[in-house]
Parts: sequence; C-alpha cells; structure tokens
Amino acid sequence: MTMKLPHPGSLVAFAILGLVAGGFIALVTFDGGTPALFSIGPYLWRVLAFSVVQATLSTVLSLALGIGLALALARRRFPGRDLVLAALSTTMVMPTIVAVFAVFAVYGRSGWIAEGLALLGWEGGFSIFGYPGILIAHVFLNGPFVARITLDGLNQVPAEHWRLATAFGFTPFQIFRHLDWPVLRGELPGIAGLIFLICFKSFAIVLALGGGPSRSTLEVAIFEALKIDLDFGRVAWLALIQLTICLSMTALLHWAFTRPPVGHTIRSLVHRPDAKNNGLKALDTVVLAVSAVFIAPLAFSVLTGIRNMLDVIDADLLRAFVTSLAIATAAAVLACILALALASAARRRRIVLRSPRIAALYDFLPDTLLAVPPFALTAGLFLMIQRFGDPSAAGLILLPLINGLAAVPFAYRYVAPHLLTTEERYGRVAASLGITGWSKLTIMDWPVLKRPLAAGFALAMALSFGDFGIIALFGGTELVTLPYLLYERLGAYRLDEAAAIGLVIVLFAVLLAHASGRLSDAGD
Amino acid sequence: MLVIEDCRLTWPDFEADYVLSVKTGNLCAVIGPSGGGKTTLLHMIAGFERPESGTLTFNGQNLRPLEPAKRPVAIVFQDHNLFPHLSAAQNVALGLRPSLRLSADERLLVSEMLESVDLKGFEERRPGEMSGGQRQRVALARALISGRPLILLDEPFSSLDPGLRRDMILLVDALRRKRPVTIIMTIHTPEDVADIADQMAFVADGRVVASGRPADILSSNLAPRIAAAVSDS
Repeated sequence: MTMKLPHPGSLVAFAILGLVAGGFIALVTFDGGTPALFSIGPYLWRVLAFSVVQATLSTVLSLALGIGLALALARRRFPGRDLVLAALSTTMVMPTIVAVFAVFAVYGRSGWIAEGLALLGWEGGFSIFGYPGILIAHVFLNGPFVARITLDGLNQVPAEHWRLATAFGFTPFQIFRHLDWPVLRGELPGIAGLIFLICFKSFAIVLALGGGPSRSTLEVAIFEALKIDLDFGRVAWLALIQLTICLSMTALLHWAFTRPPVGHTIRSLVHRPDAKNNGLKALDTVVLAVSAVFIAPLAFSVLTGIRNMLDVIDADLLRAFVTSLAIATAAAVLACILALALASAARRRRIVLRSPRIAALYDFLPDTLLAVPPFALTAGLFLMIQRFGDPSAAGLILLPLINGLAAVPFAYRYVAPHLLTTEERYGRVAASLGITGWSKLTIMDWPVLKRPLAAGFALAMALSFGDFGIIALFGGTELVTLPYLLYERLGAYRLDEAAAIGLVIVLFAVLLAHASGRLSDAGD
Repeated sequence: MLVIEDCRLTWPDFEADYVLSVKTGNLCAVIGPSGGGKTTLLHMIAGFERPESGTLTFNGQNLRPLEPAKRPVAIVFQDHNLFPHLSAAQNVALGLRPSLRLSADERLLVSEMLESVDLKGFEERRPGEMSGGQRQRVALARALISGRPLILLDEPFSSLDPGLRRDMILLVDALRRKRPVTIIMTIHTPEDVADIADQMAFVADGRVVASGRPADILSSNLAPRIAAAVSDS
C-alpha cells in the first residue's frame, strides 16, 4: 500500500498556520507566565481608541483627497498628466519611513514651512507630533493610492456608456449619478476598509510622529511591550486583540467587497462630456492645486536628497544596501514559493476536486497574513528559535521570513488568476496526456506564469526593501538595513543625509515596482 | 431622407470617405468586413465622430453642427447599452428624461414600451438579472421611446445565438412598421436581414462600396467579398 503525499500547497498552508499558532503559544507560555488582559487596563482602551480615531480620520481624509483628485484627473487632460499618474502609482511602494522623513522635512520644527515662517518673522513654534504629523503622513501615502485605484475604476466605465451620456445630453450631475457614482459606490467600501486596516496597523509613522506613549497604535504598543518592557504576556494579548479586529476586517473585505469582473468594451479614447462644464473646470482646478500644494513639497523633499547623494555613499550605506537587497531577495523568493504553492492548491481544489469552499479558504489564507501583527509573530518565533539555536542569528532568519510572509498576499494576487486560467484552458488536455506534477508546472504553467511570477517577485522585493518594521527590533550595529539607517539619521536630525538615503530607497523601490508593472502588463 | 455626401474622416492609420442615401422610413443594413468602417459610419451619423468635410443631412436638417444630444438620432450598441445600477424601466426612461423624473403618463409609456418588446413584468429587473436578448430589447425600447426618427443599431444582436438573433430582427421589423422611423443597422450576417431590409450597403476600407436592394447586392460581383467578410467575422 502506498501512502499519498499531501499537496505542497496543503503543507505550506499548515506550515503557515503552524508558525502563527506556534508563535502565539510560545508567547503565551513563555516563562510560565499567565497573560492578564485586565492588567493592561485603561492603557489598552487608550491605545485602542487612538488606533481607531487616527485610522478613521486618516481614511476619511485620504478618501476625500483621493476621490477629488481621481475625478479631476478623469475629467482633465493637461501636459504632465502622465507624470502625475506615474507619481501617484509610486506611493503604492513608497516606504513609510520615507514618508516620515518627508513630513519632518516639510512640516518639522526645522522644516521648510517653519523656516519660511521664521523668515516672515513668525516665531511661534508648532509641533508636528501627534495627530497632525500622523494624519499628514497617512494622507500623503494613501490619498494618491486612492486616487490611482479610483481613477482605474472610473476608466473602466464602458465607452458605450459615455456615448449614451453624450447622446442623451446628460448634465454633470446626471453623469456623476449614472456613470461615476456606481463606480465609486462599488470601489469605496473596499478601498476604505483597506486604508483603515493599513492605518489601524500603522507602525513606523506612529512610532516616529506619535510623540509619546499616549499616542500609540496597537502595533506600536506591541513593539514597546517587546522592546522596552519585554512583557511577552502583554504582547500576546495585544496581538490577539489586533488579530481579531484585523481578521474581521480582512474577512469583510475579502468576501463582501469583491470587485465585479470588467466586461468587454470599446477601447477607443472617450472624452467626458462634463469636461466642458465651467463649474467643474473651476472645481477641478482647485482640487488639482490643493493636491499639488499638499503632495508636491513632500515628494520634492525626498528628491532633494540628490544634493547629498555623494556625501552619504560610504561603507555604512553600501553595507546597509547589500543587507536590504539580500533580505528583500530572500523575502521575495519565499513569498513567491508560498504563493505558488497556495495558489496551486486552491486551483486543484476549485477545478479538479470541485470543492470551491476549501479553495476559498486557500484564497483567504494570504489575506489573513495581513492581519497577523508582525512583531508578535516575530517575538513568538524568536522564543521558539532561541530554544534550538543561536538567538543572535535570529534577525537574519526572521527578517526575510516575516517580510516574505507579509508579501505573500501581493504575490498571490499575481499568480493565482493565471494558474486558474491555465487549468481552465489546458487542464483537461494535460490530464488526458498524463502530464502531472513537475511536468505540468514546466510544460503547462510556466510559459503563462513566468511573467506574473516575476512581477510578483519584483513587487514583493520592493515592499521588503523599504520596510521599516521588524528591523526596528533587530537593527543595531550588527544588522543595518537602509530604512533602519534612515531612521537613525532622522533620530539624529541629520535630515540632509536622511534625504539622500530616502531617495536611494525610493528609487530602488520604484524601479522594482516599475519592473513589476511592466512584467504584469506584458503578461496580460 | 438621410444624405451623406463626401463625409471625410482621417486618423493616422485610417481614412474614411462616405457617400450614402437612405430613404425616410427605410431599414438599411450595413455589411462589410471587420475594421472596414461600419461602426465609424454610425458614430459619424450619431455625432461621436466629426467629419472634416462633406454633407450630412436628415430630412433636410444639417446634422454636422449639432451635438449628439441635439441630433434626431438614437443608438443601440452591441453591448453595454444599459446602466447596471438602474432597473429596466429606468433604463428605458432615460430615453424620455435623463433626470428620471417622470410624470404618471410617462411611466405608463415606459411600461407600454417594455410590453411592446415582450418584456412586460420586467420593469424592476436590473440588467444583471436579464439575458443578453432581454437586455437588447430594453435598449431597443429606449431607442424607440426617445421619439427620435433615426435609429442606429450597431451590431446589436451579434452576441446572440442565430435563432434569437433572427427573432430580434423580426421584432425590429415589426416595431418599425408601427412607427415612422428610419433604421440603419450594421450586421455581420446579411442573410438575417435580406428579406426585411429595404436597402443594403457594403462598407469596406472606409467607403460605401455599393448600396442598393439586398437581393441586388447579394447577387452582385461583391458576393465573394461579402462571403469572405461573413466568414472572417
């Protein structure tokens, strides 16, 4: 009797669940401690309230800026519009620590605005710490992201609908009601939920711009419990609360707000009839001007790093660059392997075994990784590793592992649809010819899969390259990545050097994201 | 009568120059190879494309300076005719009033129009809850209720199976006999309309190569080109 081996995707799914569960168990059982939720007391409520309030405000402001910008860009054609669109896309991979730098550089105590006001004779100081800095950084990162996604949605309105609107002589209000609003209504709950989730979990921005323990998100509270108090019990409870909230949110996003498939349409260029309306012309001009005034200085502050680029190129920077590159490469390889295995298992369940519910669980697993607090998982895994090996090497293992797990949802989105398509098209032919396993992967899947996989790899690498998360725990003289180096320079108020390092991170991340986009487009 | 004389349109990769006349009340079927300029011809009449020169009149009215909304033209596309968030009745009502603020009489008219295309009882259905043929009937009802005398049908039934396609064409024929409308319809399979169309025009390379009675066109020396166009589509 032969024993049938489980599908690699099943093994991966169990391994991921095992790692997460093992990490939590290690935290909870560490030192025989019994975690006491109630001992966290008012502190927990304060952190929770702050997390929710700042995430809600960030979401509302990001949506307001993003939707206004998207509608204005949809209606207007002007020189440099393509450049603006490209710039909006870069915020998707803009590392949060670079956004922190930009806020300091423009709005900080010795930033551009403070210096400008001082020149005008205004000496009254203002603080960027707390809500102002956090909201500016979140809106700077997420507003353009909302604009880009919403604009993509608005561009999917079939050309026939625009022609009908022209033929019926729709007013601007009727155009908004019948063409724009249905798109916004479909897109916004999902985008709003995603931004709320990102801001709710915000770490680097709140750590750097929060201004003290009274303004912490759960993620920062977990980090502080770990780094300062070494209170694993509290880490476990805080992580469990965050996991519960984020998982509920993720499940809601995953199942309730799936975007409808886009049908075939006429692909010719269509001019919106409401572009001629004078009232909307004035409104769009105001929106574009306000957006430019808000976003351009922050983006430009990063570009000023070019002045000091030569000054910062030293052994430290090169070492940090190589370390970041190595960690990002390892994380991306891991993310792609895990995504491929999970997507393959989901495909098998959905098409071959005809069990769509289990397939949906495989689809959901990558998204759940977005909900797992990385610091808590890291701490738990650290406790597990230290029993078996040298704890000083833990950072080198955990950094690519945690970054890789965090990138799985993104890699999965590139890989899974293509795997499903190949099975639908060629699966029966392959089955009839007896092509299975490795042969199936190389003969049937690889030709279709190589570009989306490369695109997923590049995006996973871009996300990991700029990440300032787990490195905050392990960073030090022995282990320095570029985002950590930037954080150090910011802490020392060496803003010129920070700008140059930020520019290096952004350029490399944008380069990778651009490669990802090109590969993805070519794959289509 | 619709009169198109030397209406010229140019793009970097395509040139069109149309000459065509269609009598008021006639049904003119436009056939030809894909990419030959059939849809461009309809879009020009509807006002989505502007000719650089030439004459474009309908019953003596110069259409060229008119915006699409001001033209006596209603159009039905192959797909995406209906707004998915509106009911069938609301989609039809757009042809009467884009504001959707209807009087009681107008609401009755919408119901009657849906009934005339065999969709009685479908008033509250959304496009997503209807079949492809039903959706096209709603679009047809909207074109008719608008009261515009020139109706353009841009391959409206291409995505339907042959039997349903024929039913829809017979419905169009029946409806036009009750109303004084002129219909120009692009179509891939000339046999579908050969017995009901008053006129047939063969369009290729951006030009109306020939126009006349369907029987004459289909038996002319263009027959091999028409057959090739049908087999390509």
